Amino acid sequence: MNVVRERVSEGRPRIGMPRALMFYRYYPFLKALLEGFGCEVVASPPTNLRIMGMGTDLCVDDVCVAVKALFGHVRYLEGKVDYMLIPRLVSVEKKEYDTFTCPKLIAAPDMVRFSFPQLPPPLEFVVDVSKVPWWWGCLRLGRRLGVPLRGIARAYAAATREQRRFEALQREGLLPADALKRMENGNGLPSPGYASADRDVTVAVVGHPYLLGDSLVNKRLIHWLDSSGARVLASTMLSPRELEVEARKLPDLSWSYEWELLAASSHFLEKEGVDGLIYLTSFGCGPDSLVTEMVRREVPNPHKRAIMDLVLDEHSAESGVRTRAEAFVDLLRHRKTARPPGVLTR
Amino acid sequence: MKVAFPHMGNAYIPLRALVEHAGAEAVVPERPNRATLELGARYAPEFVCLPFKITLGDCINALEKGADTMAMVCGMWACRFGNYGHVQHLILRDMGYEFESLLIGREDPRAVWEKVKSAVGKGAFRRLLGAAAIFRAKAAAVEEVECLVRFARPREEKVGEADALMERYLSRIDDADSIRMVRAIRRELREEFSALPLRPEDGILRVRIVGELYVLLEPSLNFDLVRRLGSNHGVEAQPILSTYRWLLSPLWLDPLLHLSSSRARRVSRAYLPYVLGGEEHMTIAGTLDAPRQGFDGVIHAYPLTCMPENICRTILPHISSARDVPVLGLCFDEHTSTVGTATRLEAFIDMLRSRR
Repeated sequence: MNVVRERVSEGRPRIGMPRALMFYRYYPFLKALLEGFGCEVVASPPTNLRIMGMGTDLCVDDVCVAVKALFGHVRYLEGKVDYMLIPRLVSVEKKEYDTFTCPKLIAAPDMVRFSFPQLPPPLEFVVDVSKVPWWWGCLRLGRRLGVPLRGIARAYAAATREQRRFEALQREGLLPADALKRMENGNGLPSPGYASADRDVTVAVVGHPYLLGDSLVNKRLIHWLDSSGARVLASTMLSPRELEVEARKLPDLSWSYEWELLAASSHFLEKEGVDGLIYLTSFGCGPDSLVTEMVRREVPNPHKRAIMDLVLDEHSAESGVRTRAEAFVDLLRHRKTARPPGVLTR
Repeated sequence: MKVAFPHMGNAYIPLRALVEHAGAEAVVPERPNRATLELGARYAPEFVCLPFKITLGDCINALEKGADTMAMVCGMWACRFGNYGHVQHLILRDMGYEFESLLIGREDPRAVWEKVKSAVGKGAFRRLLGAAAIFRAKAAAVEEVECLVRFARPREEKVGEADALMERYLSRIDDADSIRMVRAIRRELREEFSALPLRPEDGILRVRIVGELYVLLEPSLNFDLVRRLGSNHGVEAQPILSTYRWLLSPLWLDPLLHLSSSRARRVSRAYLPYVLGGEEHMTIAGTLDAPRQGFDGVIHAYPLTCMPENICRTILPHISSARDVPVLGLCFDEHTSTVGTATRLEAFIDMLRSRR
């Protein structure tokens, strides 16, 4: 089926990308891909209170805050675009056992399709690496938009380059939102304060990119850590190779993204120079409710580093997160100075 | 080897037979109740789904009763249930209990087999075959009692008779120690149930219950939804899942179950094209089929934050209006109150009556 012919508006098809969930992981890839397909990509703005409010109103009440944000963004884009692109991530890696992402990522297009019956069904970008290779999803999306094979291959190559650039920026110590900004505006932007190495305390934040990247959802946690004078490392800054090293210490887990968080926790709890760990999670996040337990009880913590769980939902208040972030940094600073020098681990 | 497993509805009857006939001792904790749930919730992670909390409470009860091996079904699914055993055993060990883990489905099958063989001794394979046979017989018997009592409850002359019969027969099935005895009990049971005085049929409402397996089957979690609907409201309630179904479908002991679940997958593919790891296909297919199969309404019961059922909840309103079938969503957690649930059930039943 070629959706372009069914469209009402003239010119290049406008495709909306809601700034939620997997946006923070694959936006540069999907943007380059769609532009290569000859479409215009419209991303919704960073989450604001109005978008969050719409999402909370539209969505069922006991899903995680990130899915509610997705609903708000879809609502925001409604009427502004011809189609909505919602990635469907079923599995993202091949292992000896079955792997999945979260059920909500697997069913995100379905949830949107049935909650917004007035919209045309969202375009899907299906990733099911355990069954078909990654490019298969691009091919299907391209065929659906009526792009010839050669065009798909060219767009795919360009998209892969963009994604590599995005990931390289993150490895350099930028959070997803800042790396996206850097991609849009070139390298002229100043390096953010949280990335500077000359801070006395280093906090590692482990959490999904859509929580780390969305400053309304995480209530500007990174900003508060930064303003208390801490250097921030995040799980999104680690490369797959760094995570793979941790595998033998950890139990098998069928959720790929949560396995990454588990491996990142293990990495940061051992890495030199890290003082404490914040595990960022959202209320109602299914996999995280078990993975936080594993981080506390199973991941080796040889230096007895402090771990703080921070649970977010749409009722979290900025002042609450601020107080906790400041208290945590103070605690780490105190632990560092109060210990006799011989006991210091570095 | 004293093996313990968490409760789920009446699953303990066939499971106890399986363990005992295989040559180990079964430790069955008391039936779960509010206290079990509170005990489990104290040690469980805060926003994990409800079955985790109540089965953790069960495990603690079983360990207090002297169990030394904890059995649990695990797997590599997208649903959290696959990781229950692993995390629960981490928590229990941190609490100071010492025991062997028997994580069926997660560990290497050969390792599980070695464990069983070392505990059972010689002739393990033959004993296991015998145990599986009696397990199947008892599961089928329990299923029959449950079916008969669900039919009888809204129709009986004197409220509570069918339940008394069920209690008696369940304990007899539990005590039976050969397949022949189970068969004899089943014959008696059919006779006694057919002798039960029933009122004439006068438009009894039929309600299908769909949703998450554990909430559907465990009366202590769903405030005895099925019995309450039958005895108090005179409504025939039919859960779409049953203990029998859950126990036997992974073992390939009943091909009919496979047919029905692959049909459910096929029917629900238009709504959910990918497997989510829970009972979402049964929920969707059950709701779709409800009007055709003569049900007046559907109750969707699930624990708070259950991932597959949450996704179903965004889809069910659509099916409800497309197929003209009323759906009531009931979400359970450890703070759900009896009165709140009762009021909503009453209102739903009244609505169904007035629709007729």
